[in-house]
Amino acid sequence: MLVVEEWLSEFKTLPESSVSSYAASLNDNHSLVSALYQVICEPHSELLEPVCHQLFEFYRNGDVLLRRFTLQFLPELVWCYLSVTATRDVHSSGCIEALLLGIYNLEIVDKDGHNKVLSFTIPSLSKPSIYHEPSSIGSMALTESALSQHGLSKVVHSGPHDQRETFTAQNRFEVLTFLFLCYNSNLNCMPRLSLQSLCHMSSRVCVSGYPRQFQKNYKDFSSRIPVSPECMVQILTAVYYAMYNGEWDLACKTLDDVLYRAQLEMFPEPLLVGNAIKNSVCFDAVKYSKEAPRCIQVEITPTSSRISRNAVTSLSIRGHRWKRNEATELKPQEELMDISEVDEGFCSRASNTNIAISSGGNKTPAGKSQRKSLGGRSGREKEMTTEICREHLVRKQTPRATSENLELLSIKRLTLTSSQSLPKPGNQSLANTVTTVFSKSFEQVGGVLAANSPASAISGNIGDSNRFSACSLQDDKLALVSDRADSHISTVQQHKQQRSPSCNIHLSTDM
Amino acid sequence: MAAKKSGSRLETEIERCRNECLWERIPELIKQLSLLLGEAKLEHYLKENPIKPDSSPQGPRMKLIEVKKHLTAALDRGNLKLEFIQEANLILAKFHYVEGDYSEALSLYSKVVLDNMQLMAVPVYRLRIMAEAYATKGLCLEKLLEGSSRSTEQQLEQEQEIIACYEKAGDIALLYLQETERVLNTNIQNRSPKPGSSFQEQELGFFLETGLQRAHVIYFKNGNLTRGVGRFREILRAVETRTTQNLRMTIARQLAEILLRGMCEQSYWNPLEDPPQHSPLDDPSQQCCNLKPRAITRKPRVYVGDSIFCPQENTEEALLLLLISESMANRDAVLSRIPEHNSDRLVSLQSASIVYDLLTIALGRRGQYEMLSECLERAMKFTFEEFHLWYQFALSLMAAGKSTRAVRVLRECIRLKPDDPTIPLLASKLCIGPLHWLEEGERFAEMVTDMSEKASEFRAKGYLAVGLAYSLQATDATLRGVQESLQKKALGAFQRAHSLSPTDHLAAFYLSLQLAISRQIPEALGYVRQALQLQGDDVNSLHLLALLLSAQKHYHDAVNIIDMALSEYPENFILLFTKVKLESMCRGPDEALLTCKHMLQIWKSCYNLTNPSDSGRGSSLLDRVIADRRNLNTITLPDFSDPETGNPAPASLASGPSLSTYTLLQSLSPVDVDKDVDLSLTFLSASGSIHATSIAASRVEQALSEVASSLQSSMPRQGPMHPWMTLAQIWLHAAEVYIGIGKPAEATACIQEAANLFPTSHNVLFMRGQVAELRGNIEEAKRWYEEALSISPTHVRTMQRLGLVLHQLGRYSLAEKVLRDAVQVNSTAHEVWNNLGEVLQAQGNHHAATECFLTALELEASSPVVPFTIIPRTL
Repeated sequence: MLVVEEWLSEFKTLPESSVSSYAASLNDNHSLVSALYQVICEPHSELLEPVCHQLFEFYRNGDVLLRRFTLQFLPELVWCYLSVTATRDVHSSGCIEALLLGIYNLEIVDKDGHNKVLSFTIPSLSKPSIYHEPSSIGSMALTESALSQHGLSKVVHSGPHDQRETFTAQNRFEVLTFLFLCYNSNLNCMPRLSLQSLCHMSSRVCVSGYPRQFQKNYKDFSSRIPVSPECMVQILTAVYYAMYNGEWDLACKTLDDVLYRAQLEMFPEPLLVGNAIKNSVCFDAVKYSKEAPRCIQVEITPTSSRISRNAVTSLSIRGHRWKRNEATELKPQEELMDISEVDEGFCSRASNTNIAISSGGNKTPAGKSQRKSLGGRSGREKEMTTEICREHLVRKQTPRATSENLELLSIKRLTLTSSQSLPKPGNQSLANTVTTVFSKSFEQVGGVLAANSPASAISGNIGDSNRFSACSLQDDKLALVSDRADSHISTVQQHKQQRSPSCNIHLSTDM
Repeated sequence: MAAKKSGSRLETEIERCRNECLWERIPELIKQLSLLLGEAKLEHYLKENPIKPDSSPQGPRMKLIEVKKHLTAALDRGNLKLEFIQEANLILAKFHYVEGDYSEALSLYSKVVLDNMQLMAVPVYRLRIMAEAYATKGLCLEKLLEGSSRSTEQQLEQEQEIIACYEKAGDIALLYLQETERVLNTNIQNRSPKPGSSFQEQELGFFLETGLQRAHVIYFKNGNLTRGVGRFREILRAVETRTTQNLRMTIARQLAEILLRGMCEQSYWNPLEDPPQHSPLDDPSQQCCNLKPRAITRKPRVYVGDSIFCPQENTEEALLLLLISESMANRDAVLSRIPEHNSDRLVSLQSASIVYDLLTIALGRRGQYEMLSECLERAMKFTFEEFHLWYQFALSLMAAGKSTRAVRVLRECIRLKPDDPTIPLLASKLCIGPLHWLEEGERFAEMVTDMSEKASEFRAKGYLAVGLAYSLQATDATLRGVQESLQKKALGAFQRAHSLSPTDHLAAFYLSLQLAISRQIPEALGYVRQALQLQGDDVNSLHLLALLLSAQKHYHDAVNIIDMALSEYPENFILLFTKVKLESMCRGPDEALLTCKHMLQIWKSCYNLTNPSDSGRGSSLLDRVIADRRNLNTITLPDFSDPETGNPAPASLASGPSLSTYTLLQSLSPVDVDKDVDLSLTFLSASGSIHATSIAASRVEQALSEVASSLQSSMPRQGPMHPWMTLAQIWLHAAEVYIGIGKPAEATACIQEAANLFPTSHNVLFMRGQVAELRGNIEEAKRWYEEALSISPTHVRTMQRLGLVLHQLGRYSLAEKVLRDAVQVNSTAHEVWNNLGEVLQAQGNHHAATECFLTALELEASSPVVPFTIIPRTL
């Protein structure tokens, strides 16, 4: 106890300039630290009040090392506070309470005295980071939430926190959770003794008053201590750290105790984190249990996949689907393989509609250019011609650029036409605009093609196939139009049949 | 392809030389060929006899001798180009390493001067040779260091050099892989692809793998976390190639592990910053010398861009890394379940499950359970019958507040692990609490009580759950017989729970509550005292104690208890509501109104801190979760959240608190009573600034009527509308106090506030009816009551008032019918019995009337100020 008294008087006489060197020397003073632990454990000690006062002075001083010196006692202080409140021996814990609240009130403000707001950015894979590019992450599920967060990284905030003058049953764990958050953000600087104290505290808080207590040696204390799930999660964070930093065995036992309590309280949050720790730990058990402190280990791992090539995985299924689609594609898609799935979905859908259109178009009179080449052939035959045409394209190589060009052009036209036709809901006029716009766009496409195509012999075919893809692209926007004019669909149909054969394509996709 | 091409070039070169009789060129070409032959044979040999770490290579020496023959032949006479001489030497050094002749290899490396070799504009394969050379050099140095006994200083220097070699080897290896992929891609683009010429996965081989990974392994072995993390980041920042995907996945996971297990916010530095000079992360016993920056002329390409995301905190970085490895683990997970792939499936499952566990740890720290449940859902496609991930998925759904799905997933978990009592307990907690599926909850709870051999504390919880399910069912039941038998069952279950676990305050408390509901006040008082001894500051026990005291008509004691409870739970609205009732009973309406005002202030400070646009759970750090929890869990408003009435709720919070403050002022300003002005003024000052004055009240009404039209859509019970229900409830309480002191205008203003929030609430309609009654408009009152009943047909207080009004209108038989229905619903409502007696008396049925009056008298003696059932019953 003499050490403690010396320590109490020494700091008061300390000149301002030597604070930092003094702080550095404190941590090595093991006899002082253990003496302080003893004082804190003893609720009726006369020294408790001056010690708490001094620890608060350290915290208020602002020197990082002094702050850490105080913070290392946090688990022990919390245990004393909780055990005393559970027995309702209010008077003896007054100074510990004041110290904890003091630390809390200092931690919730920044240097200038403004309330701190902590922010945390949830990374999103759809946004490029220093470690990845969105396009290289192939299989992003297109869920609603994924889409709504596309390209945005979500930022969550904590704070501002209220100043607290007293502990109440309501704010107790709010304050303690925040204090453990502070403790956890300084974990690397906490000595082993503090980690041990944390493990002991957590175990006792979690099991005292429960039948499990009697398997342990905590005989001195027997009432249950309430605890909040958030606080348990913070405790688990510290326990997880202790596991890999020298306190493997102790921390594993503590983990079990925390899990036991979480099960009985039916708290999903600590159960989640605790189960995850326990499950990930069981692979490491042999490696770490006998090791020295700071035992994070890494080994050389083989870079080749451990999974045999022919097992079905998400990736292989994806490739599978691709191979099937490639058969109906117009052009080689090899290089698109590693573009993201968003593209994949788009392309495959486009090609699917291709088939639907071509087979649906057989019953209706085809366009002029189409009629020349296709006449009255069946859908199957027509598919075959597209097939042939595709082979042509592949062999020739050059028309690919043209066809891309054409697609671009038709997309451009598309936006134009849809914007023209949308604001006119009247049935007759709508039908007209749709049809005229349609035939127009085809003329345009045909024109461009005739000008650009090097092989005029197959121009009809190319125009044909291009038109299909153009239609499938238009599909989306036109579906909107047809929805609007739902009741007039029959008249539209009639009109279309009369006016322009190309409209059949649109209708067949609609079906 | 490339080999063939160069081969043909070589052929034409030979042809040219022979054509033009350039005989002096021929030996040079042949040497080049023998160099190739030597390299090929060495590589072939290594492929057949792969080198294992920590073991010297074994294999037929014959082939190796051949390798040496070819290489020395290539080097033999001088006329080889410089770069080929270098290459031949490097391959020879590698050969020496394979043979175990480390110093010979090192001498060759110093002869070549590796550091001076060109990296720019060299063929891709030379990058590989150089990467391997650096790695081999590192290996040789390490081998020599093992055997030597030099001073520590020299040893340190030596280690530095070893690490430098490995880091260079790693960097060049990454560059090599990037270049090969680039070349391959351009090849694919320029040629029409041949069927089946898909990318063959390249194997790195021992030397490149060592070069890529040995540096950080040494760092971590020496306890130098700072440098190890730095090296990890360098590897990860390099643009990925197909060959490095697996390596990246492993390294990303390992770095995440280190960030979560060994680092904290204070010791973190972000990947674009320089690492700190002194860090608590590093083992202090190991001296940390500053490494010279590596002199490499060409670095691997890294991810760059203007607005790329760079984490600022260790959990952020861990999360980013884990999301990346999750996407890879998910993609590589084996889906097929045929027996041949079983071991593959298990391997992939295990690696995925490690990633998901780390993800859980990281997201749990920040309270992001919603996101966690989405991540775990992605794992479901390959976790058929895998208990751990299913259970984690269920827990994450529960933590994210998705109760319905959580119960479904928990049911599957029970099937997978039928002997774990926690799972059915969790399910029944959800059923009894947010879902209000009482029969389901009962079934789950009985699963626990049937596990006879389990530890008593779990079975006690099971009985508690059974009891709660019965107790809540009893409250919902409309038939008195059913009600009574359910109450009896509930009581039995609570008694079992209490005897199994006598130290559990919840068991004692619910036993007491159940006794109180069946009006056994003295017994209930005994158990509630027991509960309070076990847990002195439990809010529900204190509340129950106050209500029990009020049932014994000790109103002042009850108020004192409530005040005591409020000193521990100052923001608990249910306590405050009871306080209002008690105060208007024993301290007068002024006190009660002050409490209402206080409640409005608390409401403001509780919910105005948070931005309404992101209110809701899971959208912020853990403290928000705490705040929401604290307020939402404690507020159960039975009047508002009757299970059968369907909760009215504002669908949008777009109006926000400022608007409601505004309407509040609008509606209160015409009131000339001093207290009301006071109330509104304090509200004004509490809100600070009212910036919405330009927004017309009509717009609010419009928004809210839109809300009203969408009320029928089912809303989650614990959603962000809870604060608004509380606010409405506060206003209704204030209205009730005003009605009590006979001030209809003020009461109407308060009701209007509530009506703005919930226009179709039966409570609002009921209060309107009361105001109408106060004003003497009996007919109007009757209309309001009928409307209220059409929304909530079992609202006993409305039925009672309607009966009274009908009585006043002289429609005795209808009044009797309504009151009899009310008694059926709640047989302990003494006002109803009293009114029924009056009606019967007016009808001349004096005998029955006497019975009713006696019942009323008896019930009144044990009636609390508010029904016991407002105390929330949850597990």
